[in-house]
Amino acid sequence: MQIIGDILLTTRDNTPDEQGASITYLIRKANISHGRISKILNNLVAQGLLEQSNSSGACKYKISHVGREFLQAYNTFNKFADGYGLTI
Amino acid sequence: MEIFLENILNLVGFIVGMVIGIISYIGFRNTGSPTLFRLTLAFFSIGAGFFIMWFGQTLDIVVYQTGHVERWVQTLGIAVQTVGYFFIAFSHTIKSFFPKSNYLRSVGMVPLFLISFISIENIIRSISFILLAYGAIETLMSYFASRRKTAILVACGLWALAFGEFLGWYYFVFPQSILNVVSISMKISGLIMLFVPVTKVPLTKIKFDENI
Repeated sequence: MQIIGDILLTTRDNTPDEQGASITYLIRKANISHGRISKILNNLVAQGLLEQSNSSGACKYKISHVGREFLQAYNTFNKFADGYGLTI
Repeated sequence: MEIFLENILNLVGFIVGMVIGIISYIGFRNTGSPTLFRLTLAFFSIGAGFFIMWFGQTLDIVVYQTGHVERWVQTLGIAVQTVGYFFIAFSHTIKSFFPKSNYLRSVGMVPLFLISFISIENIIRSISFILLAYGAIETLMSYFASRRKTAILVACGLWALAFGEFLGWYYFVFPQSILNVVSISMKISGLIMLFVPVTKVPLTKIKFDENI
């Protein structure tokens, strides 16, 4: 859950250019393997949380409107769960 | 006097449990987090347990007027609450609460058929105490990691509930003492402290699920 939050946060606040973040950039930020992040990114694109685009032969990822709403809910309830000493 | 105070406690417990349960459920529907699902189960169970006891007492005050609640109603209410306390403790990753062997599981059920409701209530209260104390310790440890002030309030709330359970359990030894009143007051203050993180949730910013 935290990885998803980190990926969405990176694609919202820390994208290197307008087209979005590349997979290599996200691997560095989320600190996980290529195989694992690929599955997560495919899932997030399928759920409509991320938008995928092809820019100069490489896949780039940008947060969607639904993704922004999810991230807002995630941050709110992460603080809520943290209040009970838990992580979501 | 005591039955009225207990009635207020049960009503407060029911409301607090349900409100936290609903917020957790909204969180679960919006994020799909298993932790929030466990919190939902925990607080709905706690709310339901308090509701059973409140309903039993209100029925006695208004209809039967015997001055005491049926023992089985009390036991059922406490048992349902204990399920909630279990989920709170489970959220703090209790890995193996139940014995894995089928034989031990079946033997573990035997005392439930051999002893009276008072004994069962004592057993359930002691289990509640252990679960609450565990939850309080884990929450306190989380506070040391995150330094979030609400975590320490929740830890204090769980301690107050645990101490309330302990005093309620001890009340069987000294039935005519003020222990029950102190126990009820401790539990009410514990529930209020558990409610604090809910007040920090900016409800206006939450996108409510359309099915709720």
